[in-house]
Amino acid sequence: MGRRTATTRTAALLAAMTLSLAACAESEEGGGGSGASADETGPITIGAVLDITGAGASLGVPERQALELLAAQLEEEGGIDGREVELIIEDNQSTEDGAAKAMNKLVNEDEVDIVLGASRTGPSLAMRPIAESSETPMISLAANQAIVDGSEWVFKTAQNDRVVIERMIDYMAEQGWSTIGLARDASGFGEGVQEMFDEVGAEQGLSVVATEKFAPDATDFTAQMVNLRNAGADVNVIWGIPPAAGLAQRAYDQLGIETPVMQSHGIGNQVFLDTSGEAAAGMVAPLGRLVVAEQLPDDDPQKEIITEFIDAYTAEFGAGPSTFSGHAYDGWQLAVDALREVGTDPQAIREHLEGVTDFTGISGTFTMTPEDHSGLTKEALVLVTVEDGQWQLVPDQAD
Amino acid sequence: MTDLLQLLFAGLSQGAVYALVAIGFVAIFTVSGVINLAQGEFAALAGLVAISAVGSGLPLLAAVVLAVLSVALVAVIMERLVIFPVKRMTTLVSLILTLGVSTGLKALMLLVYGPNAEGLTPLTPGSFSLGGVSIRYQELWILLIAGVVSLAVYWFYERTLAGKSLRACAEQPVAARLVGISLTKASLLSFLIAGTVGAIAGVLASPIYFTSWESGLTLGLKGFVAATLGGLISVRGAVLGGLLLGVLETLTAGYISTGLRDAVAFLLLIIVLVARPAGIFGRTAEARV
Repeated sequence: MGRRTATTRTAALLAAMTLSLAACAESEEGGGGSGASADETGPITIGAVLDITGAGASLGVPERQALELLAAQLEEEGGIDGREVELIIEDNQSTEDGAAKAMNKLVNEDEVDIVLGASRTGPSLAMRPIAESSETPMISLAANQAIVDGSEWVFKTAQNDRVVIERMIDYMAEQGWSTIGLARDASGFGEGVQEMFDEVGAEQGLSVVATEKFAPDATDFTAQMVNLRNAGADVNVIWGIPPAAGLAQRAYDQLGIETPVMQSHGIGNQVFLDTSGEAAAGMVAPLGRLVVAEQLPDDDPQKEIITEFIDAYTAEFGAGPSTFSGHAYDGWQLAVDALREVGTDPQAIREHLEGVTDFTGISGTFTMTPEDHSGLTKEALVLVTVEDGQWQLVPDQAD
Repeated sequence: MTDLLQLLFAGLSQGAVYALVAIGFVAIFTVSGVINLAQGEFAALAGLVAISAVGSGLPLLAAVVLAVLSVALVAVIMERLVIFPVKRMTTLVSLILTLGVSTGLKALMLLVYGPNAEGLTPLTPGSFSLGGVSIRYQELWILLIAGVVSLAVYWFYERTLAGKSLRACAEQPVAARLVGISLTKASLLSFLIAGTVGAIAGVLASPIYFTSWESGLTLGLKGFVAATLGGLISVRGAVLGGLLLGVLETLTAGYISTGLRDAVAFLLLIIVLVARPAGIFGRTAEARV
């Protein structure tokens, strides 16, 4: 009896799987060509693929919260031109295949008008070919420039790693350093970083003398930090996202390495402050203005919009936003702005995004061109350090 | 030399955590032939319970005790609900069942505690330097407590009547039954031990290695590899296996490539299973088939 039930169940399961496969194939055929419907009256759908669970959770969660907040605000305002705006959020579990799957679902099944995400570089790169082939506008929230290099349909809001590295190299040159030790994320976020440091630093005589890698979900950093210590560079750079970046910072401090340390723009959240604790004191990182909003001069063009966002976010979630929720905010506003101006025709959205000029956001002021789908320069970043567990603007920085 | 010592020390404390998880695998496998894939989840759950207890204002020690007790209870409930009702338990069936429990526990932890990784407050915060080797106090606690727990479990199996009857169940189930040892009680006891030891591993590791809903997966895999190195039936083998694995991982990361770190465990597993299926420390005659 038991066995028969089991057989029946297996058969049923197989049948169900076959059916769903067939359904997938069908919807892919149907949905290919144009991801967005040219329907100009129904609800507008915005899809988002975020790293909500897994190694990127400390990015994806605040991004989801920001998007939900903004979607609720827009609904209160009555949508775009009287059309309802529906937000569909998918979790890619911080994996590339998860991101590709979610992207396929949004494009083919939900037929969204525009996609935001993913949170990290690897998953964003996995989504890019789908956006390109289905001709769906996509705004990534991740950093690596490879996401938008030569892309037609993909844009991004996080500061490019190139402008981050330019900012860091400027600071290093100012300090008179010439050799760099690098411990970088082994996934997409850290890919190509060493080469870029060498390339950008060449002019100012800076180069990377040692490179160590760590998995984004690594927990023990002794080996990498011992090797950095031995490399004896003038400055060490930890390039990763929290909690890994925070744990690496702790290991660095615990091993008593006296060399100055810098981190990337991947650390702009409370999780970094929590995981690194006192070890972060004195570390310098180029971050968006969001984390030091209160310390900004009143004439800073971004101050008002940032303060407004912080207040709304804090009122809703009881804790302040991170730079990552800022990336999501920018992505959402760019998308909504485009939808408002040109409607849901994908080609028109794409062209509108390419023409965005002096668009003030949380992460900086965006000016996009057909060649530059990122739109931020190194002015979007300020140098920030940590004092008593709080972000502090580094005084007297060239701006 | 300092580097080598530094790496060795980091490896040992990581390995001690693997060793505790491995003891959990051994405790259950020797009694009933069950491979408990939820062993890593025990550790993760304990860490999360302790973190949230501390967060809600409980003193650290009370939070740790609460975490260990509640995970031990979870292990016992799991045995009663999932393992006990199965009449003809084979290792394969146990793999499927416990994989289900593991997935369920993970989903539950994600729902309750959210996706972020967090660290428990260390028993003693800070670190000190000894001859150029930097040592965190928490690492000393890990080594100390792991040592005490291993000895206690070893002593229990070798010296007490209850422990001996557990081993009897493993070696001669029929004979054990004939002399009046209850197999179901033995299985329950083995889960209690595994839950407790796994929970201790979880709360010890959390301050340094952090805990999230999914950290049980890696920990469980590494613990399983460590247990296999010891032949899956020896507490001593599991402890040595765990320490060896931790040290090899750190040395590989330090001297060869950090990218190879996680490959070490699985490479080691394949080599041992092919060359010495009874474990590197075991005699072939002890193999259970």
